[in-house]
Amino acid sequence: MSGAGAGTSTSAAAGTGTGAATNAAAGTGTGTGAATNAAAGTSTGTGTGAATNAAAGTGTGAATNAAAGTGTGTSTDKRKTATAGGIRFDEVTVTYGTQTVLDTFDLTVEPGEVMALLGPSGSGKTTALRAVAGFVRPASGRVWLGDRDVTDLPPYARGVGMVVQQYALFPHMRVADNVAFGLKARGTPRGEAASRVGEALEMTGMSAYARRYPRELSGGQQQRVAIARALAIRPGVLLLDEPLSALDARLRSGMLAELARLHRELPEVTVLYVTHDQVEALTLADRIAVMDSARIQGVGTPHELYRAPRDTFTASFVGNANLLPVTAASGTVRFGDIPLRVASPLPDGASATLCVRPHRVALGDTGPNVLRGTVTSVQWRGATHRVVVDVDGHEVLADCPELATPPAVGRPVAVSFAEEDGALIHD
Amino acid sequence: MTEREATGTLTPQTPAPPGVPGDDRSHDNGPNSAGPHGSGRGGGPHDNGPNSGGPNSDRPHSTRSRTGRSGHRSRAGAWALPPIAVLGVIFLYPLALVVKESVTGEAGVGAYADVFASDAFTDALVTTVGIAVGATAGCVVLGFALALIVAFVPFPGSRGVAKFIDVFLSFPSFLITLALLFLYGTVGMANGMWTDVTGAAEGPFDFLTTPWGVLLAEITYFTPFVMRPLLAAFAQLDTAQLEAASSLGARPARIVRRVILPEAYPALMAGGSLVLVLCLNEFAIVLFTGAKDVVTLPMLVYSKAILESDYVSACVVATVNVVISVGLYALYRTVTARTTGAARTGTSRTGRSGRSGTPRTGRTERRGRNAGAHA
Amino acid sequence: MLVHTRKGRWTAWAVFAALFVPLFALPLLVIAVASFSTNWSGAFPSGPTTGHYAAATRGESLAALSVSLQTAVGASVLALVVGTWAALSASSLGRGGRRVLDALFMLPVAVPSVVVGLAVLVAYSQPPVLLNGTRWIVIIAHTVLVTAFAYQSVSAALTRLDPAYEQAAASLGARPWYVLWRVKVPLLLPSLTAAAGLCFALSMGELSATMMLYPPDWMPLPVQIFAATDRGSLFTGSALAVVLMVTTLLVLLAVSRIRTKASYR
Repeated sequence: MSGAGAGTSTSAAAGTGTGAATNAAAGTGTGTGAATNAAAGTSTGTGTGAATNAAAGTGTGAATNAAAGTGTGTSTDKRKTATAGGIRFDEVTVTYGTQTVLDTFDLTVEPGEVMALLGPSGSGKTTALRAVAGFVRPASGRVWLGDRDVTDLPPYARGVGMVVQQYALFPHMRVADNVAFGLKARGTPRGEAASRVGEALEMTGMSAYARRYPRELSGGQQQRVAIARALAIRPGVLLLDEPLSALDARLRSGMLAELARLHRELPEVTVLYVTHDQVEALTLADRIAVMDSARIQGVGTPHELYRAPRDTFTASFVGNANLLPVTAASGTVRFGDIPLRVASPLPDGASATLCVRPHRVALGDTGPNVLRGTVTSVQWRGATHRVVVDVDGHEVLADCPELATPPAVGRPVAVSFAEEDGALIHD
Repeated sequence: MTEREATGTLTPQTPAPPGVPGDDRSHDNGPNSAGPHGSGRGGGPHDNGPNSGGPNSDRPHSTRSRTGRSGHRSRAGAWALPPIAVLGVIFLYPLALVVKESVTGEAGVGAYADVFASDAFTDALVTTVGIAVGATAGCVVLGFALALIVAFVPFPGSRGVAKFIDVFLSFPSFLITLALLFLYGTVGMANGMWTDVTGAAEGPFDFLTTPWGVLLAEITYFTPFVMRPLLAAFAQLDTAQLEAASSLGARPARIVRRVILPEAYPALMAGGSLVLVLCLNEFAIVLFTGAKDVVTLPMLVYSKAILESDYVSACVVATVNVVISVGLYALYRTVTARTTGAARTGTSRTGRSGRSGTPRTGRTERRGRNAGAHA
Repeated sequence: MLVHTRKGRWTAWAVFAALFVPLFALPLLVIAVASFSTNWSGAFPSGPTTGHYAAATRGESLAALSVSLQTAVGASVLALVVGTWAALSASSLGRGGRRVLDALFMLPVAVPSVVVGLAVLVAYSQPPVLLNGTRWIVIIAHTVLVTAFAYQSVSAALTRLDPAYEQAAASLGARPWYVLWRVKVPLLLPSLTAAAGLCFALSMGELSATMMLYPPDWMPLPVQIFAATDRGSLFTGSALAVVLMVTTLLVLLAVSRIRTKASYR
């Protein structure tokens, strides 16, 4: 036990050497890694043995794969997997026949960052993820993992963890064997593999189910096993392809919190999260890349994208949006004839789109920006009322806290919003 | 490491579009059989129908795509060589020798003229084709009717019938002829009954040594080959369609004609053409009837080679038989390829029209789960 | 669901019974009954006996059964290896390559069995390889005939296999060989056993090609059955046929038990 401990610590030390370079380049200190180690240690560690494991496991932090490298034993493998870090798409284009499903895709995911690829189905987000995993070969462009160009590497040499919508747990293996699969495939020594399997199962709360077969588990449990399986190989990069979409709504929010907790425990793991669900993206991601028609439409933090979207697609896809065509006029804008108090850097006469979130629109004429129109429908949604107002032929939505006396359809009504709630999108 | 060298130097290849109909599933147009034993022989396009997609098949760029690595491809090509070599040694080379042998006799190519001119050959050709066509027609009609009842007028034990068909398919064909000898032979059951009842010296049934005997045996033996793909196709048919049709007042005959038949057509075609080829090639049934005047092409090959030791003529007849059968088989493959394509669009069409009812989404979900469970 | 009246249903069932029973059930029953009889000149057989079975399970007949079993096992194993290998390599080929392999390996289905027998006989009766008169020529012919079914069975199963498993394994760092051995083969096991059962049953009942090339000391059971009926011993032939059917069924049953164990879902 002590011998093994010593062994792991050396490998971790060796790992930090390599990892430091990557981290420095990425702009994160090794200190972050150390801090997380402690966190992971406290949450998972129960006995001394576990504590050692945690230390070894997270000492990996920056250099998760250094440990994996020692497992495989060969020096080439060590070099191959020792370069954890972020993901970089360098003008990646993927075509299927004549159809371009990913068009000069440029994106950098920093080490330890959670990046969500958000978009409708067919927008190319899954293709981007599969290009990282190695299941889709770009027609042009390069894919980088840390400082490794992996474009020409087969999937098995990339060392990324992947969880897909249907989990793809091997039905003929017990949970523990599923989780151990990647370790066995890489020739990790038996003892180390066993402790890592235990660790991964504990982290996902599935230790009690190690002897079960996947078919004996519920969807949520299968999901946890799939995540444990991907984490057991200590990947520097974790790819999650719509991991929650096969779960029902209630389970989904629980798993979402679970994923957030996992990333707090493993902050050094870079996560690429593909989803069509804005709530998942807003909850989990450090940054979101909104995709449509094989291209990135906008990239930013959830806050940026929600509060100040740069394009109309992003505005309407991340949250609901009222999009009003406006023209710039002396530092503010006009909606038709109505002057609106919204700061505008645009030259006079330039056209733009004003994005106002429905829940920021209130009934009444007390605000600085007042629009008058006719109520065309009122929908009761439990906690809120959605009032749809026709303003000069434009539909304006107002989500109000449940109203005691909702306005009647056909009646004239005034709605208003504050100055800071209008985000201007340049056309 | 050869992997990296190979892939590194080659230009990127574009993978075929996943999920596009006729993509990586389309090679599987032949009779399929991954199910229970026997299914291969009664094959048809049912396995590669619309539900062969994985659980993610409705997603545009999902797991269906392949790596498309040139290195993988060329290596895979190399891996295909050993089995091809084995097949070449034990089958392709011998087959080529038969063709070669057929023209290396004293008469050369003239051997063909001699054989074509002989009455034995033309009689055999006519008998073979006649019996095969007749048996196929019988099998298709009978198989369709029986499968229809098993699938849509279920009775206790109708699942057992499907099992029985599986078992039946795993028995050799000559058993049927053997049984017919007891049933309709000169001293068999039917004639025995007749003489017992009428007191006549001998019964009226004496057709076993005529082509009719062979025809009856072939219809009996090959009908399950039509039923099997049909039952599989019927199982995929959305019962809500039938319910909708009958709730609209359609009578059973009309439902069969307008709803069931179009859906089952590809399976029927596939089963029918497979049976046609198998009937053309059937030997054991003919051999067991022991009839001297029923000579089919395979029988002629046997008698020329084994009984007369005339290998050149045997090879000539064999070559002709192969050309007919393989030609028909190729036709069958292209027909099934086309009709499965039609079936796929057909299903999506009916699926769309069925959307007003509940089943559409439930059905796709069920399919997805099935496919996942199979995978 | 198609016929809603009680009368209509009974009519349909009556039609079914009238067609199905005499055509499919009766023949098998008749053979079974005949195998226990000594005489069948009236409506029903007479002279119940088990003597045919006594004869069918000793001497020449027992040898024929053993020959058939050995041939079927040998041919099935060979066919399974070749067919599975071909199907696996075809599945990783491009569309064109796959078509070529499909065509090559399905060709034996289209070629008449008798011609397969003739071809193998012609090829192995001359140098460089002389196998005529040995058991190997029978096993080779059977292998040719059943390989197509093994190939087809496995390649159909491969198309149904969700590539997500393979990809999950690859993303976990498993090399292609490891994926094949630890993921694909176990998942294909049910189909492989099904294919094995199919090959075995086909080989057990094979007569056409066998008639062309069996050597006197390697006479499979179907040939023995033919010999018996050809010389007029229909009852002995029936007993042999029952032995053949029962043996085939027992093996299929055993195989399907393996299959049930091997299917995890």
